[in-house]
Order: sequence, then C-alpha cells, then structure tokens
Amino acid sequence: MLWPRFTKGALMVFRRDFLSWVKYYRSSVLLNFGEPLTNLLALGFGLGAYVTKMSGDPFVDFIGPGLLAVTAMNAVTFDMSFEAYDRLNENGLYLSMITAPLHPAEIVGGEYLWEACRSLLYGLVFLVVLLPLGIVHSWWALLLPLPLLVTGMLFAGPALWVATTAKNHEQLFYYFTLVITPMFMFSGVFFPLTHLPPIIRDFILLTPLVHVVNLTRALILGQFPATLWQDVLWIVGYTLLFMVLPGRRLARRLMD
Amino acid sequence: MTTNPPTPQRPAAAPGASAPMAFLSMAPGAAIAVAAKGLTKHFGNFEAVGGIDFDVYEGECFGLLGPNGAGKSTTIRMICCLTGRTAGSLSVLGIPAEPGQRAIKSQLGVVSQEDYLDPALTVRENIEIHGRFYGLSPQVASERAAELLEFMQLDGKAGQQVRALSGGMRRRLVIARALMGRPRLLVLDEPTTGLDPQARILVWRKVRELKAQGVTVLLTTHYMDEAQRLCDRLVVIDHGHILEAGRPRELIERLVGRECLECPDLDAAAAEQLAAALSPEDEAWHEWQGDSWVLFSPNLARILDRWVAAAIAPPLSYRRPAGLEDVFLRLTGRELRD
Repeated sequence: MLWPRFTKGALMVFRRDFLSWVKYYRSSVLLNFGEPLTNLLALGFGLGAYVTKMSGDPFVDFIGPGLLAVTAMNAVTFDMSFEAYDRLNENGLYLSMITAPLHPAEIVGGEYLWEACRSLLYGLVFLVVLLPLGIVHSWWALLLPLPLLVTGMLFAGPALWVATTAKNHEQLFYYFTLVITPMFMFSGVFFPLTHLPPIIRDFILLTPLVHVVNLTRALILGQFPATLWQDVLWIVGYTLLFMVLPGRRLARRLMD
Repeated sequence: MTTNPPTPQRPAAAPGASAPMAFLSMAPGAAIAVAAKGLTKHFGNFEAVGGIDFDVYEGECFGLLGPNGAGKSTTIRMICCLTGRTAGSLSVLGIPAEPGQRAIKSQLGVVSQEDYLDPALTVRENIEIHGRFYGLSPQVASERAAELLEFMQLDGKAGQQVRALSGGMRRRLVIARALMGRPRLLVLDEPTTGLDPQARILVWRKVRELKAQGVTVLLTTHYMDEAQRLCDRLVVIDHGHILEAGRPRELIERLVGRECLECPDLDAAAAEQLAAALSPEDEAWHEWQGDSWVLFSPNLARILDRWVAAAIAPPLSYRRPAGLEDVFLRLTGRELRD
C-alpha cells in the first residue's frame, strides 16, 4: 500500500503524458472509438431494429450511455496496461523519471491525473457522438465530467498494478480477456441485470463497471433509480481502494 | 585460443595489500563528494558488494572499474539513491544516502548505461521535461535546454524525434539531459559503450570541460584507455571487493611497471622457451593477453640482448608503455565474464 502523491512532480508526469498524447491523438482516438462506435451502430441500430425496447427505453438509448462508460474504461485501461508496461520495461521512462528527483508515488499520482483527464476526454467525445443520435435526454448529462474523472482514476489503479506485475505483453492480454471483456459483456451495458439469476447478479454487483454504467445511464437518460446512491458509494469506494494498489509495486520494481 | 597458456607468474606483492588505506590519505583536506565505508549490498544470499571503502573528492573524476558483475552498477545505484544498502555507511554530498533521497537526487545527474529516452517526444521536449522533473520553471528549463543542446552539439536536432537520432547523438542527448539539474555530481555509467571513435572523443572533451567547471564526475567504463585519460583516481573492483585503488599512472608503475614487450601470435612452445631463459634478476613476469605473450620487466633491454645472443628472440615483438589495461587484466584475470 502506497498512496499516490499529487505533487508538482506528479503534475510534470501529467504534462509529459499530455505532450506525448498530443503527438498520437489521431491514431489513439480512432483506436478507442472504433470499437464502441461500431458496437453502438451495429447493435443499436442493427439489433435495435428487432429489440425495440429494453427496460422501457429504445435499445440504442439503453446501450449508448453504457458504451460511454466502457469507452472511458478502455481508454484508461489500454494506456495504463500496455503503455505503462513499456514505460517500465521497454523504454525506461519511469527509470529516467526516478533518476531525476521524482518518487514512484509521484509517478503514480501523475499517471492517475492524466488517466482522469483521458477518461474525461474520451467520454465527452463519445457524448458528442451520442448527441446527434438523440440519445441524450437530460440536462443532468452536464454533470458527466465528474463521474468520468473518477472513472479514470478507478480503472487506472488495477491496470497499472497489472502492468507492474506482468512479465510480458501476453500476460497483459489475460487482463483484458479475463477481466475487462467479461466486465464489458456482463455489466448491464447490453441488457439489464434484472433477469439474471440472483447469485450471478450479486457477483456482478461486486465489480466496478456496472456501477459506472448505472450512473452514466442515469445522468444521460435522466432516470434516477432509488439505488443510485449505492452505485456512487461503490465507485468512490473502489476508486480509493484501487488507488493504493500499484504504488508499492512500482517502487519495488524501480528501486529494489 | 588454440594453446593452453601457462599460468602467469606474478610479482610477490599481493594485489590489494593495504593499498586502499594509503590511497585514502592522498588528498587530505579536500571536500568529499562521496564517502563509502564498509558499503555492502546483498540480494538474497548473493553478495553484490562486499564491504567497500572509498572516498570521491569534490571536483575530481573518479573511476569505478571492474569486469561485468563486479558490483559497479549496484554501487552506482546505491549512490544514486535507487537502492538501499545492506550494511556500512554511504554519504553523498554530505547527506546520508537512502533510497529516494531527494536532497541528494536533486544535486545528481545520472547517465545510465542504456539510452533511455522518451520516444514520443522531440529532442528538446525530452530534456525540457526532465528539467521540469527537477523542479525548474518553464523559462529556466527552456533556456537551459537550449544551452545544453548547444554544449552537446545537438542544437540542430532540437525539433527532431529521438527515433531519428544516431547512437552517438542519443548518448549526447542523455548526457545533456543529465546536466539539466546543474548537478554537483555527475554519474556516468559506461558513457561511451557502443560509440564510434569521434563520438567518444567528443564525450571525453565534454567530461573534461565539466570537470573544469567544478563538477565531480563518477565514471564506470570497460575501456581502460578512457579511464586512463579521464580519471584522477580510480578503484578496481571485482566480486564486490576493491582490489586496488590509486591514480592511473601510480597503479601502472606499481603493479605492472613502466613498459612491456608484447609478442603477438607466439606459440606456446616458443613462449615456454623464452620464459625458461629468464632469471630471477630480471624481475620479470609474463602473461597471455589473448594470443599475445606479454613480458613485463624493468630490465627489458638486457633480456632482449640475451635473447638475440642466444638466437631465440621472437620473430615479432614490440616494446610499449604498460597501461591500465595491463593492470586490469593482471588484477581481474583472463576468464570471460558474463
């Protein structure tokens, strides 16, 4: 357990990530939008022609807000797994940072700040895609930046922990295959959890993405279920819990 | 090697005997940049550094020489506050060295063995952001970056991506980056490995210029000519222990003498014949350096005359000044290291 440090040094790590992103944003935006956009169009309008209503909403309205949450999660997870793995193991970026007077906890802090912004950025652009499709039904959507920022931090921690633990790129794929993809499929993005067997539903409620999906859907559709406060609590709790995961490990990898 | 070389005969004085103590008292009163006493580092059961003592004086260039796996890099990592020690004491710029010690790290410039550069950023951005890591303001970072790119002769490359740089340019950029924090102590871990001769000469010149500006330099290298050129004093370490310490010239004269006779491509039988013709008064010893048989003695002229008279002089041989490489091979042996 090592808390990230949000210092001036962390801000410079953030700055470095931003400078690097500016160079690559064209290809990286395409990578992060291609998939959810395809899902939205193919499933929302293709499958949506047959599945007209989902929990009382048009199918595309139902999956749009969920895909927004997924977009934010993926944007962060890709960066903090593959990119962070390379920064640690391939191009020595983290090592050169700690030879300058930065502490590993400041590196983690800087990466979290950047991932929060990344999540915000990619989430908002996806929101802009949803607007002309008539999926955004509520002014509450203006509050989305807040959950998006938190979501970035939430998913950055576990991914960075995986990056500091993995021995090669293949092991990073396991994280996607075993964790990210199942979460994507079963977190109420495509169908509500109400008809699942209770034991499976309870298990899903222990994972983080479902709560983010519930929250983004509530804000975009303007429908607030009575249990929404629980989702908020889960999100905040997981964010704090995951935040301390990678620091110690990164420190050990860099300063054995 | 096709022949089985004879065991080199060595002079009586055992390497390392009481030399470090004499060495410590060489410059009394000089300010000490790095002081290591009984410095020890274990990784599990493996002893990487086994209790070494040395002082680095401010303003000098100090060499840390040794074969691969000798403990150089671990020592460097402890000095750079990148790893803790198991025992002993270590102070850097008057501050006790602990992992992550910012008060030390902010006064240090580190050139690591690998050219770790940020592939996403340009040449200028790479060193500017590093300056920002040191806490410099944007203006100071930008001014200093321009100044250092010029100093390392990279000013024409400022806007390029680092991928486009040659090996020599990458190295120069890493050195420029290490200078962004205006370090009092510059740590160069094999700074010229893999560089062409022109690039090496440039690096040497820059190290001398930095020294002239008062920067203390700690250098590790596998190139003995480099150590001989740059280092004011040095230690040779192997298996985590200091074998010898001193000034390059003094080490050479004390351990291998002023000059030697090198006989390239000599066969083992001929070498045995030559060795048999030596007498104790010659104060000679010899060893194989690759395929060359090398004879060290203060009485080379006399020995050569005798060989000529006996008609056993080797067909090809040349006298040359003894160097640090001879010292190094004598101290650390001929076995290949991993």
